[in-house]
Amino acid sequence: MFYLTRMLGKPVVDAAGETIGRISDIAVATGEVFPRVTSLAFLGPGKTPFMLSWRKYVASIDDEKVVLNATKDALRFSYLQPDEILLARDLLNKQIVDTQGMKVVRVNDLKLSESRNQLRLLGAEVGVRGILRGLHPVLETIAERLAKAFGKELRENIIAWNYMDLLERDLSQVKLSVTHKRLHELHPADIADVLEQLTPAQRAKVFEHLDNAQAAETISELEDAFQAEVIGDLGAQRASDILEIMDPDDAADIIGDLPYDKAEALLRLMGVNEARAIRSLLGYREKTAGGIMTPEVTRVTEDMTVGEVIDYIRKEASEHESLYYIYVVDANGRLEGVVSLRDLVLSEPGTRIADLVSRDVITADVDDDQESVAETMSKYDLLALPVVDETGKLLGIVTVDDALEVMEEESAEDLEIATGTSREHGPLATAWWLIVRRNAWVGLWAIALIVAASVSRDASICSRMPAACDLLLAAATLLPIVLRAADEVSSRTISELIDTTPGGDRPSFIRRLLRESGIGAGVALAAAIVAFAWVEISAAAQGTVGIVFALATGVAVLVTVFVASAFGEAALKASDAGKTPPSSLLSFAAMLAGAAVYLGLAYALGAWIELG
Amino acid sequence: MARSDTTKRAGLLAILGVIGPGIIAASAGNDSGGISTYSVAGARYGYTMLWMMLAMTPSFAIVQEMAGRMGAVTGKGFAALIRERFGLRPTFVAMLLLLTSNAATTVAEFAGIAAAMELFGVSRLISVPIAAVAVWMLVTRGSYRNVEKFLLALSSVFVSYILAAVLARPDWGTVASSFVTPRIVPTQAFLALAIGLTGTTIAPWMQFLVQSNIVDKGISVKEWALARWDVIVGALSANVVACFIIITTGTVLHPAGITIQDAGEAARALAPLAGHYAELLFAVGLLSASILSAAVLPLTASYAICEAFGWEAGLDRSWSEAPAFNGLYTFIIFAAAAYILVPGLDLIAIMLLSQVVNGMLLPFLLIFMMVIVNDRKIMGRHVNSRFNNVLAWTTIVVVISLTAALLGMTALGIG
Repeated sequence: MFYLTRMLGKPVVDAAGETIGRISDIAVATGEVFPRVTSLAFLGPGKTPFMLSWRKYVASIDDEKVVLNATKDALRFSYLQPDEILLARDLLNKQIVDTQGMKVVRVNDLKLSESRNQLRLLGAEVGVRGILRGLHPVLETIAERLAKAFGKELRENIIAWNYMDLLERDLSQVKLSVTHKRLHELHPADIADVLEQLTPAQRAKVFEHLDNAQAAETISELEDAFQAEVIGDLGAQRASDILEIMDPDDAADIIGDLPYDKAEALLRLMGVNEARAIRSLLGYREKTAGGIMTPEVTRVTEDMTVGEVIDYIRKEASEHESLYYIYVVDANGRLEGVVSLRDLVLSEPGTRIADLVSRDVITADVDDDQESVAETMSKYDLLALPVVDETGKLLGIVTVDDALEVMEEESAEDLEIATGTSREHGPLATAWWLIVRRNAWVGLWAIALIVAASVSRDASICSRMPAACDLLLAAATLLPIVLRAADEVSSRTISELIDTTPGGDRPSFIRRLLRESGIGAGVALAAAIVAFAWVEISAAAQGTVGIVFALATGVAVLVTVFVASAFGEAALKASDAGKTPPSSLLSFAAMLAGAAVYLGLAYALGAWIELG
Repeated sequence: MARSDTTKRAGLLAILGVIGPGIIAASAGNDSGGISTYSVAGARYGYTMLWMMLAMTPSFAIVQEMAGRMGAVTGKGFAALIRERFGLRPTFVAMLLLLTSNAATTVAEFAGIAAAMELFGVSRLISVPIAAVAVWMLVTRGSYRNVEKFLLALSSVFVSYILAAVLARPDWGTVASSFVTPRIVPTQAFLALAIGLTGTTIAPWMQFLVQSNIVDKGISVKEWALARWDVIVGALSANVVACFIIITTGTVLHPAGITIQDAGEAARALAPLAGHYAELLFAVGLLSASILSAAVLPLTASYAICEAFGWEAGLDRSWSEAPAFNGLYTFIIFAAAAYILVPGLDLIAIMLLSQVVNGMLLPFLLIFMMVIVNDRKIMGRHVNSRFNNVLAWTTIVVVISLTAALLGMTALGIG
């Protein structure tokens, strides 16, 4: 790997070992997927610019220098060709914009790679790493080490050259072509990745370039948060056309996220059959087997022969999402058994299904949690899992792609709860948020200190009640005890949220309270001793004040633990009800309550002592 | 963004369509630091310094005009042009200085808000947090259009200084002759104040501001013919306001021999001599100036930095779309407000820091600007005329020598 910023200024050495200049630029030929480096530009003695053919004269290149294969006198200089561009002059530091002319990023560096003695341009580095490297390579190394120390990787952020397109020869702007020319060549999952990076207006533009089938597939690949938004932004007719093409379970997911009247309007525009399939799926609760299943399932009866079944599949079931299993049902639609496609294909056409059927079917209940459905499928290595109601009637199947999605979703959700972040923000935002969240108590402490210090300097208050001001300041100083207690209790709740599935077994509120107050009492005692010592040593007050203040500190810790536990219980209740509780808010609210209690108590106590 | 069809409209309407960027940028220059400097200049030396304001006006207008022209021609901000023309390292240094100076100046703005509200009897413990949240909400929740309207409305409050001057009843004949009679008091204090006057009139962030406002408003080369008048008139009117501040304190405080340190003191000192209304008008002017600048200074720094490093930026971008942009100005606003609230921190030191950093930044920026604005590859046929170049280089030489003098004096602890 070579980086342009590191190559610039490196010496150019001829075959005789003499340094004849320093690299000033590198030219590539455009029009290739990964353009070849064609020319080397360097500044000779007296800053005279020269240009050489890379292919003819460059013998080798390493981190320190470029070595030529001819001596100074044998070199023949060349000129910039019309199809060549100079990397440093034309690309470095320039802005890359998409075709709508919206800002995206700036080229901080260019990455090149050597393959089979050819140096090729891989793409533009647009991330922080490029900025650091451009400032000084040492900065990049330091940042990398720091990131590693925190268990993170400082990632390169490279836009591959094949996503860029030079629309204008004047090169004042490099335009990102991905929204037009090469869009159709990309896999829908890749298009989805690109779409998620764009703004709503840009996304709408991209959809104008896709046909309905592509659009349907692309939308299926989008993150859940974007799906409803994208459909909502499309025209009603087109949106319903696209939803019709999609698998009913995916379509139902999206419609379920839309506002009621919008959803209803879209369903009315659809074909009767599609709308019915989606409506029936909408009746099931989200995040259950019913919510993620598709009703497109191949049902046969026991008395059919293999030949009949294959004919049936060809005619009726050709559009079904999953065909790996054929389900055998009785006259009432109850699930009797399953035949795999493999058995079907390997058997004679005349064989009766009754002879092939395996009656030991693993099924999911329609109300089962989606996570347990996915776990079942992974445990038994199933490509599809049938979903039945309480009477054993076959309602649909959960296919493997949906199960994979569930697993991804659940792990992301756990991560979200653990870190208190949301996936809609980029990794940078996540990292920032993580730092903010972890250190929220420091911020609260700082604010409390500022408030306390400001109040205690306010002569109009403190001349009347000096003791109240002193105790307030002391409480603000010792506030981290309370804040940390609140944070601890909250983080225990959060880990409980992650460990248990909603509605699962967990200790009752009373037991939790007992457990927390047991720990809390210990902390409160320790805090009270510290508080007493603090008041005595700092001589903030005299006599019994120290004991009273210590008591107040202990009480504040206990109250905080109670409040935090109550908040935690509320969050767990919310989780049972199928919502994702805002975990970062949880500890913040608990800390805020704790701070208010402690400061308020200290001030009130001071005022009380003062007044009598 | 607001790429309206201004070119099709005619006459007055067309001018109204492009009004905003220049006036806001120039008005923001009359911030709390500026008002303090002008007040002190008037109180200490009467009308003596008025001629300098007249002499500085063409320079100020021409610098603002060049910045606006670069924005209209290239559609890029000043920081972007610096990055593309001069590369990463100079840009990084410039941005670091800009961030420091803007953050420090924002602290001064919140000090101005606190001082103005204390004149109305409101404690800074109440006024500063409210102002910080209000400014932040205005910028995060508002669209560019609304923010612009609000800022323009704030700019119009500057008329209060003209009223205050009229209330002070100056001898207009003496005032008029002071504009055309160059006089110098040969003391170090006078020199220091003259330098401060220059620095606060041509502050480096104003060029970033006017250029990014022009770009943000979507003013194209075609509309520039009209928009340049907005920029030039803005520069002129900002200096007119500054002159009236000098006239007010020069009329009231100077003959009485009252010395002041800042704008708050000036307003308080006005009351017994020129009546309660003069104090009130002065305080209102200080308040709106400080709010205006507290809103635009963090915004300018965030815009410039994001643009320089290629991060998404814009008032209409959400947190997830532009985390760096939103994070930067949120940080500047609240850090500055917190600095005011922490008791016992040194305000004079931070004002001095902002002055010194601005002084270091300005010559670089002006030279960058001259190189860019004369580069045909960037500006096409809109490069500077010879007249512009002569005037601009003269300005640069004067500003650099004054700045060097100021830095030297600061380093030696004189003045």
